[in-house]
Amino acid sequence: MQHFIKIIVISLIWISCFPAYAHHVLGRPSYSLGEDSNTPPSMQVETQIGDFYVTYMAFPAFPKPNEQGRVNLYASRIDNGQPFDGKVTFKVNDDSWFAGEEEILGVQNVDDSVFRQGFIFQKEGDYIITAEFESGGEPYIIDFPLRIGEPAPLGPIGITVGILIFVLAVVNVMQRKRRFQLKAQRAHQDNNT
Amino acid sequence: MTMTHPGLPDSWLWIAIVIMSLALLWVMLRKTNRASVEHFISVEKIPVAGLLAKLFAASPWPLLILKFISVALFLAVISAGLFGTPIPERNLATTLTWTVWWAGLIITVFFLGSAWCAVCPWDTIASWLVKRRLWRRADASASLGLRVPKAWRNVWPALLMFIVLTWLELGVGVTTNPYATALLSLVMIVLATVYMAVFEGKAFCKHVCPVGRTVGFYAQLSMVELRPRHQQTCAGCETLECYHGTEEVEPCPTNLVMGRLTQSTYCTSCSACTMSCPHDNVGWRVRSPAAEAIQHARPHWDEAWFMLGLLGLTTFHGITMMEVWEQALSGFAQVIGDSGQLIMSFSVGMLLVFAIPIIFYAVLIKITQFLIPVGIDFKQLFSNLAFISLPLAFVYHLAHNLNHLVRESRGFTDVLMNPMGRDSLPLSSQEMHMRHMNPLISEQLLYALQAGLMVFGFWLALQILQRRTMESLKGQSEWRSHYLVPGVIFIISVTAFNLWLLVQPMIMRM
Repeated sequence: MQHFIKIIVISLIWISCFPAYAHHVLGRPSYSLGEDSNTPPSMQVETQIGDFYVTYMAFPAFPKPNEQGRVNLYASRIDNGQPFDGKVTFKVNDDSWFAGEEEILGVQNVDDSVFRQGFIFQKEGDYIITAEFESGGEPYIIDFPLRIGEPAPLGPIGITVGILIFVLAVVNVMQRKRRFQLKAQRAHQDNNT
Repeated sequence: MTMTHPGLPDSWLWIAIVIMSLALLWVMLRKTNRASVEHFISVEKIPVAGLLAKLFAASPWPLLILKFISVALFLAVISAGLFGTPIPERNLATTLTWTVWWAGLIITVFFLGSAWCAVCPWDTIASWLVKRRLWRRADASASLGLRVPKAWRNVWPALLMFIVLTWLELGVGVTTNPYATALLSLVMIVLATVYMAVFEGKAFCKHVCPVGRTVGFYAQLSMVELRPRHQQTCAGCETLECYHGTEEVEPCPTNLVMGRLTQSTYCTSCSACTMSCPHDNVGWRVRSPAAEAIQHARPHWDEAWFMLGLLGLTTFHGITMMEVWEQALSGFAQVIGDSGQLIMSFSVGMLLVFAIPIIFYAVLIKITQFLIPVGIDFKQLFSNLAFISLPLAFVYHLAHNLNHLVRESRGFTDVLMNPMGRDSLPLSSQEMHMRHMNPLISEQLLYALQAGLMVFGFWLALQILQRRTMESLKGQSEWRSHYLVPGVIFIISVTAFNLWLLVQPMIMRM
């Protein structure tokens, strides 16, 4: 049994060591183009909130720690397509179970119908960028995910293989137990006869 | 940029409507619909197909090779989804899964029945992991072999899974997300393996798998079936190797006895019966695609819901690809204050589209119950006539998927050459336009197939309605055409709506 557990532990460690490459969250990759390029943005999310259609773009798609990045936000009214021209506050929060304090990235005025906010993150991890603005006396709050650095090494494959090994191991142990009980029962019956 | 595929032209629409009207008149004026003598042709007598059938029956290796190919492609899908480009039209995960496989699968059901299930990678990987055998009969202790609890021995779990899958596909947008497509694939492997490790046979395929059950129900309308060559041989068989298996060959994983098999719903085409039968009495044969749903398939309450669910969700697929849906969703989101991916608005819309045909059907069944002079239980009538929804769902599914397959699978060879989509750019508007203008088959042929399919489904549904309504009379009352009226209203309404959907321009998926 100990031998079996060792195999499971070694297998799990071995699987966890596989390099996991960065992946997208949503949208399009960056293709190493300059941030002022008019080619497709690195990551784009289109969404709707209240009276507005909102388009959010992040550059680059997977920023690394200490790398300069930028988010662009474009909001237009659903009824007449008029772009929003007020002020937008960008905030950031750690997207983890024990999230820390929310930090303000900056307050931006409109620039050619677009709100641009630069950022530099020092630590790897999953973050939530929040864009806030007010229109017609109504507050609008929009959250977007942003990944800094490489995703966790124990990815979906590791989790899947872990679950499979666990299930198969449990079934194997139960079956051994069953067989042992059956043998004991038979031996008991033989002794009685 | 959003591009749309053109809808069915008016000329084809009117041709379909005229033929359907004639078919309706014929059915309403016809006095009886007795069971006709069925004709079958053994597949083995057909050139090429016969050779293939013999090859697959003679040895487990051809099927095993196909399983290896299917598993290899499946693992490639997972790798591409997890580590490849996020551009859906450039990634093997999304193009192979949603444009080629999911769209093409339904088309293969018509010609090959449930053959897909025989090479399904979810089941194959689960079998290899749990049984640790490539094909031979596994040790009984490989799985816990528990019986599925009585409450789960139905297709409710499969219906729930199908609803969830549709929600993920269209609401969350898994179809345009390679990473999520890979995750979904991994989840299916885990579910299939857990079920196989815990329960006897292929309980996952039989009760849970949304793809397996969809294929299974549609297989009732397939032009082929796996059946005994001679019924008398089965009648005299006392060993039932097809059910119990042999030392080498597994028993039927869905507990079917070949001699009593009347419907293909739960057959997974695994070939266990063809290999285990000592009399070589099991084989594929070509049949009328109508026979099973018209008279052989037995009605069950849960299965009736699955068939109606299929109809609702299939139509829903079509609706979500209309521009009008996006406008309605946006408007509804504003009313209820939904934001972001509009998941709440989408879920409400999906629930409505799913529920409306079922409620409409239930009301019409209640009216039929009043019209028929013979006392019949509502549940029984509901289950018995639910078969009319099967051809309606199947033909619309086929017509809709043809559009995807024919217009969107161009460029798949490029994806095969670069499955991860390394250094690739999103489809340019020129490429989109080229794909749009160069479908795999001519546009007129596509329209003809779509119109033909809709007529075929309408005709089959009428046949099923008449035959099964007559059965409900149990010979206790004389036949009157007006017994059919509620059912005909249902068939016309669904067909008219689905035709309207086909006429509309459809948003290009990727």
